[in-house]
Amino acid sequence: MTGGTPAACGLPARSRGVIALLEENCTVCMLCARECPDWCIYIESHQEPVPGTEYGGEDPARAPAGRGRQRVRNVLDRFAIDFSLCMYCGICVEACPYDALFWSPEFSYAETDIAALTHEQGRLREWMWTVPPPPRHEEGAPPPREARGQIP
Amino acid sequence: MAPEEIIAAVGDGLPPEVRCEADHRGVVLRVPPGHWLAALAFARERLDCDFFDWLTAVDEADEGFSVVVHVYSLAGRHHVLLAAPLPRSSPWLPTATGIYRGAAWHERETHEMFGIGFDGHPHLAPLLLPDGFEGHPLRKDFVLAARAAKEWPGVKEPGGRPEPGADRPAPGGERPVPRARRRGPPHVPDGWGPA
Amino acid sequence: MAAVDLPLPDVAGGPGTGPGPGVITVDAGGGCSLRVFDAGLACCGVEVAAALRRGAALATVTTGKQLNVFVVAGTVTDKLAPYVREAFLDTPLPRRVLSFGACANSGGPYWDSYCVTKGVDQFIPVDVYVPGCPPRPEALLAGLMLVLRAGE
Repeated sequence: MTGGTPAACGLPARSRGVIALLEENCTVCMLCARECPDWCIYIESHQEPVPGTEYGGEDPARAPAGRGRQRVRNVLDRFAIDFSLCMYCGICVEACPYDALFWSPEFSYAETDIAALTHEQGRLREWMWTVPPPPRHEEGAPPPREARGQIP
Repeated sequence: MAPEEIIAAVGDGLPPEVRCEADHRGVVLRVPPGHWLAALAFARERLDCDFFDWLTAVDEADEGFSVVVHVYSLAGRHHVLLAAPLPRSSPWLPTATGIYRGAAWHERETHEMFGIGFDGHPHLAPLLLPDGFEGHPLRKDFVLAARAAKEWPGVKEPGGRPEPGADRPAPGGERPVPRARRRGPPHVPDGWGPA
Repeated sequence: MAAVDLPLPDVAGGPGTGPGPGVITVDAGGGCSLRVFDAGLACCGVEVAAALRRGAALATVTTGKQLNVFVVAGTVTDKLAPYVREAFLDTPLPRRVLSFGACANSGGPYWDSYCVTKGVDQFIPVDVYVPGCPPRPEALLAGLMLVLRAGE
């Protein structure tokens, strides 16, 4: 199709087509769901103990230094974005402290059923493979802080 | 006209109950409702404000409503705001359409959105709201039904923990973690939430 | 200056005399053409206009029919909804409906408003939903392709 793919359209960098989720980076902090102005991000999760952090002694008050109660981590059960409501503002992508959400320029995902416009975890991960690399800095821009030695 | 000239002209031409001050937006006239038509006529004839921009209202909570009009002089290039404070119990003003024809639809919208009456308006029917709509949506006490009915996705705590307000047991059965501050969605007053 | 020798504002000509939706014929190739009735209600209408003015060339489709597509592009308010329904009923058969943009899909960013209809499918049957805010013009063409495929 003429002009049917983002590459064929020559879309600029950071084009906002669809949002992709990198689940490994998500810590279920819920910031994206809370900041979304449309209330269109649905997250469910539970907690699991982290293996290897158990304390085997009988009296926790006498635990060796650095070993307190068992560590727990958040596990994502459901992460869904309802693209029939989404207004592509990008607040979720900006709010995420762990870089788990990315913009992808893909735009051809029209559906015949509106419920199919709610993309679940699996589909959001599929969009990750379409996320382009970040654009190069403009000529004449100062080098990034990592290159200047300001961030170890 | 410079702001000082406008203030001087208002001081001469309008009763002292009409207060006039200049700020970054231009000149603001605070007009008691009894002098509303006189102030509008003064703005049109004596201050050369021939361009009627908008008329709307502000819900000032306990202080009632405030109807605000913005007019502009194309020749003198000065803005004038006229503000009339109204009581909350029965807000009404005489219609401005006798002086500025363009106020007709603005008054219709202000009437349906805030419930402010405009005496003498030729056709004060709803403009934007559908037939049978109940209530005045732009009043601050009007509940947005959609935000009250849908559960905020952010009300859940990370990890599916119990919501703040209840002590929760820590995993492993050790001492409970104290409750945290209750969190609600932004811009939704208390008392709205899902029934 | 004298104030008011002007008439009060009124709808020109009274109800029912305004222009109807614009009709643009898109050549889908292979002997099939779509007549697109664009109800451009808000910002999405600009994207639909951009898509249809570009002289789109869709991929070859083997059906030989002509299809009428009623595109709702923009926010539908409760006051306007009856007229959108009239425009839909005026669309000649065979007809399909394409909901373009977040507002037409579900109310979009204005889902919580006191006067916005939460999706045009509240009162007319929709065949294809195109997500976006606004969707790209190329997304409209992809949506029209889906209308053709879904109708087969």
